[in-house]
Order: sequence, then C-alpha cells, then structure tokens
Amino acid sequence: MLEVEISGVKFKNPIIAASGTFGFGREFSKLIDLNLFGGISTKGITLKKRTGNPQPRLCEVYGGIINSVGLENPGVEAFLNEELPFLRRFDTKIIANINGFSKEEFVELAKIVSPLVDMLEVNLSCPNVKEGGMVFGKDPDKVYEITKEVKKVSACPVIVKLTPNVTDITELAKAAEKAGADAISLINTISAMAIDIETRRPLIKMVTGGLSGPAIKPIAIRMVYECFQKVKIPIIGMGGIMSYKDAIEFFLAGATAIQIGTVNFVNPNAVSEIQKGIENYLKNHGFESVKDLIGNIII
Amino acid sequence: MKLLDVEIVENKMIANGIYLLSFESEYLAKAFKPGNFVNILIEKNSIYPLLRRPFSISFVKENKVFIGYKVVGIGTQILSQKKKGDTLNVLGPLGNSFLVERFDGKVAVVGGGVGIFPLLSLCHELKKVGNEVDVFLGFRSKSDLFFVDEFEKVADNLFISTDDGSIGFKGNTVEFFKTKVGEENYRVAFSCGPKPMLSAIKSLNLPFKCYVSLEEKMACGIGACLCCSIKGKEDNMLHVCSDGPVFDIMEVDI
Ligand SMILES: Cc1cc2nc3c(=O)[nH]c(=O)nc-3n(C[C@H](O)[C@H](O)[C@H](O)COP(=O)(O)OP(=O)(O)OC[C@H]3O[C@@H](n4cnc5c(N)ncnc54)[C@H](O)[C@@H]3O)c2cc1C
Ligand SMILES: Cc1cc2nc3c(=O)[nH]c(=O)nc-3n(C[C@H](O)[C@H](O)[C@H](O)COP(=O)(O)O)c2cc1C
Ligand code: FES
Repeated sequence: MLEVEISGVKFKNPIIAASGTFGFGREFSKLIDLNLFGGISTKGITLKKRTGNPQPRLCEVYGGIINSVGLENPGVEAFLNEELPFLRRFDTKIIANINGFSKEEFVELAKIVSPLVDMLEVNLSCPNVKEGGMVFGKDPDKVYEITKEVKKVSACPVIVKLTPNVTDITELAKAAEKAGADAISLINTISAMAIDIETRRPLIKMVTGGLSGPAIKPIAIRMVYECFQKVKIPIIGMGGIMSYKDAIEFFLAGATAIQIGTVNFVNPNAVSEIQKGIENYLKNHGFESVKDLIGNIII
Repeated sequence: MKLLDVEIVENKMIANGIYLLSFESEYLAKAFKPGNFVNILIEKNSIYPLLRRPFSISFVKENKVFIGYKVVGIGTQILSQKKKGDTLNVLGPLGNSFLVERFDGKVAVVGGGVGIFPLLSLCHELKKVGNEVDVFLGFRSKSDLFFVDEFEKVADNLFISTDDGSIGFKGNTVEFFKTKVGEENYRVAFSCGPKPMLSAIKSLNLPFKCYVSLEEKMACGIGACLCCSIKGKEDNMLHVCSDGPVFDIMEVDI
C-alpha cells in the first residue's frame, strides 16, 4: 500500500528523513526505530570537513525556523568510515546528500559515494554557503551541467535537490531532467531574515538564513504542483510537513515521496504518525496505494 | 533519553518573573544527573511557538522533577500560564552532567541569573560525597532573589551579589569570586550563567579546573541538527546539546 519506487529503488514507504534535520540517524536511533523510514537523506556532506557558520545559527519565526548551519559536516571520509556502516544496519534506503563548491567536487563525491549508497541527492540549493549550493542551483545551465557530469560517474540513481529561491523553479526541474536526473527533490529552505528590534541586530549571525517549517508549505506545494506539470521524472516533495494531512497534499500535488525535516525537532514520533495517517487516509478514501494519489488533484 | 507525557504537579511564581514547575516522572527522577536538561514541547500542534524549549532540571525530589525558569518570550510566557493537571511532552534527560567526585580541597560554585537553576542539585551532590562548597550567586536586585534559602541549607558559605547593591556585595559576582580565589584554596569551580559572566571567569585564568554549563539556541536537543555548535579550542566543533552543556572552560571558545 505504501510502497513507492523511484528509478528502480524500492521504498517500503514514501517517508524520507530530510537532509540536515536527521544527522546521520545515530542521534535519533536512541529515540525512534529508524526502520520506520522509507529512506534517510543524510546530513549534507562535502569532500573536506567543514565547521559551518558562526553562532547564532538558528532563530524561530511564526510557523517556522531560520537556520544557517552552513554545511557543518565531518567530510566524506568520516561519513563512509564512521556513519554509513551504522546506517546500513537498518532496513531503510540511504540517500547521500552531496555538496560541492565546484563541478569537480560534485563529480569527485559522486564517484566516491555512489557505489555505497542507494541514491545520491545532489544539493544544488543550500542557501547558507557563499559558493556552490544555491549559487549553482539558481542557474539552469549550471544545474544541467553538474547533473550531467554527476550522472556520468554515478553508480546509483541521482536526485537533484532544487532551490525555491528563483522566479521559476520549473526551469531548474526541466534542466535537471534534461541532464538525466532520475528524480528531483524540492524544496530546500527559503532565503529569509529576522531582526531583534531591541538590539536592532539580525537574529542570525550571517544576517540571512533558510526558512523551513509549516510557514513554507503552501509555497512548496505550489512548486511541486508546477514541476509535476513540466517534468516526467518523480518528484520528492518537502517543506513544512507536520502531519499526514500535509503529506497527502504533497502527493496530490504530484510528489511520489516526501521528506520530513523540521517536524523531527518538534515531534520525533512524526514518522510513525504520518505513516499511520496516510494508511488510514488511503483506506477511508478507497485508494489501494499511495501511487493512486500522485498528482491526483482535481482542478 | 525518552519522550514522555507528564502531568504538571505545580507551577508557581517564586520571584519576579521566575517560576518553579514540577511534574511527576519516576524515569527522569532516577535517570537525572546534575547538569542534564530536558526539551519541553510547550504546546502540542502549535506553530508558534513551534520548537521545544530547553530547560535544566533544577533538582528532583522523590519522583518529582523541578524546573526553574524565567519568563523571557513567547514559550516561557505560555508555560507560566500552565496549571496543575495540564500535560507537557518532555524529551530527556539530555546532555552531559557536571563532574561530581570528592575533590581534595574546596569547591567553588558560581551562578548568575537563570544559570543558578542547574547548580542547586549539583551542590547537593557535591556535599553528599563530602566536599566543602562555597557558593557565589549573582542577581540583578534584591527583588530578583530566588533559591537563596535552599542554597543556604547546602552551602558551607553563601555569597550573594546584586548589580544594584540592594543586598550582598554590590557588583558582579565574578568580581567578588575573584577576591575569594586569592584567599581560598579552591580545587575546582563550577559555573552557569550568562555568556559575559562565563567569559569573565575564563579571563581570570584560574589556577584550577573550571566547568561551565553553556546555552545555545537549540532545535533538536540531541545532536542531529547542528544548530547549537560552538568552536572547541582546536577549531573542532562541539555541540552544546550533546557534547555539553557542561564543558571544561579551557576547551571551548567563549
Ligand atoms: C541547556 C539549556 C538549559 C537551559 N536551562 C534553563 C533553565 O533552567 N531556566 C531558564 O529559565 N532558562 C533556561 N534555558 C534558556 C531557555 O531555554 C530559554 O530562556 C527559553 O528557550 C526561551 O524561550 P521563549 O520562547 O520564552 O523565548 P523566545 O526568545 O521567544 O524564544 C525564541 C527561540 O529562542 C530559543 N531560545 C531563547 N533563548 C534561549 C536560550 N537562552 N538558550 C537556548 N534557546 C533559547 C527558544 O528555545 C526559541 O526557539 C536553558 C537553555 C539551554 C540551552
Ligand atoms: C537545520 C537544517 C539543516 C539543513 N541542512 C540541509 C543539508 O545539509 N542539505 C540539504 O539538502 N538540505 C538541508 N536542509 C533543508 C531540509 O532538508 C529541507 O529541505 C527543508 O528544511 C524543508 O523541509 P521542512 O520544512 O520539513 O524542514 C536543512 C534544514 C534545516 C532546518
Ligand atoms: S540542538 Fe540540534 S545539534 Fe544541538
């Protein structure tokens, strides 16, 4: 009922932990059963270890949070040696979220990591780094070029993660598809800012950061819907999913699978609650499979 | 570490804007070590406040867990209106704890503002294993005092400072602590308070170990989101929620 397939990779359910909100699974494994997830997208990794951005990196706003972690991560070697073997103990698909500061770095990472994981998620959308990330991801030509090169060397299917910080996200979706991406995931966080009126300083040291959580859901739904009209490859939708109802909206808008991020901080049990909710919804509405929901919006 | 639904036993104001909340949890009361904190979901299905809020466990009594907190924003404001019988979802115990052992010499405990909360149970534990404990507490003013009776019962010496001099030493508690460092033979210090206070302690270059409990904005509280990172002394990243909140003052960049 809950099974979905993306480019030959079978997910036992369509719920994936969103990159950067779930570490390498280890921390949450003390609290919840990681086997509950259809997949886990790991914290974004880079070739070399990164310390990330200065504090404060986080602030809360109405219906969401702004973060500027800046891709702090232990580097690919530590990921492969220390984190991946742990994650492999669970019955869930492992998606490695990769980040480069040049095309060459993306290619290098894809070569090293792709034989060892189920899928790659090429993050062309991080708003919190000066080079790479969103800077590439805003330009359809760069999205095309990097996707194409990564596809050439990748031993596993490739997801391209898109940024919402553009006028027309479908241009990026089309570029990724044309370059051979197996799927796209959207949305990454939305560039945002908040100011403390007492100190008159920004609440994030880097001044701006990425907004996630319920506040961004309507935008994410719209973007999934628009991309669904324009590309044939599967879409993994995310942005503000807090409950099964939000998840269903994403499927109806055209998502084949969903990722849950910010909700993990609020309710670590969200994955099982959302899973049960989707199952009940399918039963109550006479659908046999989550696949029946994909793009099944009535306009 | 567990996710628990707990029922509030009591939630009362104990000083100007300062509250003491208690709830029953045998698990937390048993698992708790001084320095640990919990991440409290103040309202279920709320989008503002959205995130959980971190609070130290001040102390436990039988199966009751006590949290002292100051009302500073939306979350603590809503928390202060909760009543006996209301439920809260609590994640904990989280973080590491203070080092409690028998030290060969006197122990200094220095607290400022809400940083005082986690230090009460620490003092009890330090006394239990046979230490002589001097306590230095800093408040803004006489009307802001809390927990003083409780510290009086456990401390060998209690020194109060207020910014306005309305009671005790006039000025900041670190200044006063500094004068005592010259006079007494402390072996170790423990501290929790606002960042400037901890930086002031660091700049004293104490000739003994000092452990401090730090605060940073937190989303997950368990080491997964990397929002609460701080730099270690070798430019390594440390996470206040999972590597801390207690650190050797020389190991962190504050
Ligand atoms: C390990 C730890 C232990 C703490 N123990 C205590 C305690 O025992 N008593 C007490 O009164 N306070 C304690 N604090 C501070 C307490 O978490 C904040 O005062 C509280 O989160 C403020 O929430 P708010 O919604 O009222 O404020 P708002 O300013 O409206 O909160 C906005 C956001 O900032 C976060 N935030 C604000 N201040 C802090 C802070 N100082 N540290 C971390 N996050 C913050 C909130 O969690 C929230 O996400 C502790 C903080 C940490 C990290
Ligand atoms: C603290 C934090 C860190 C993140 N780090 C990454 C990352 O490393 N790579 C990435 O592709 N997305 C990252 N994201 C974006 C999320 O994966 C997701 O796209 C976004 O948060 C929207 O989903 P949500 O509203 O469910 O959180 C991060 C988000 C947050 C909140
Ligand atoms: S709060 Fe998430 S890593 Fe510390």
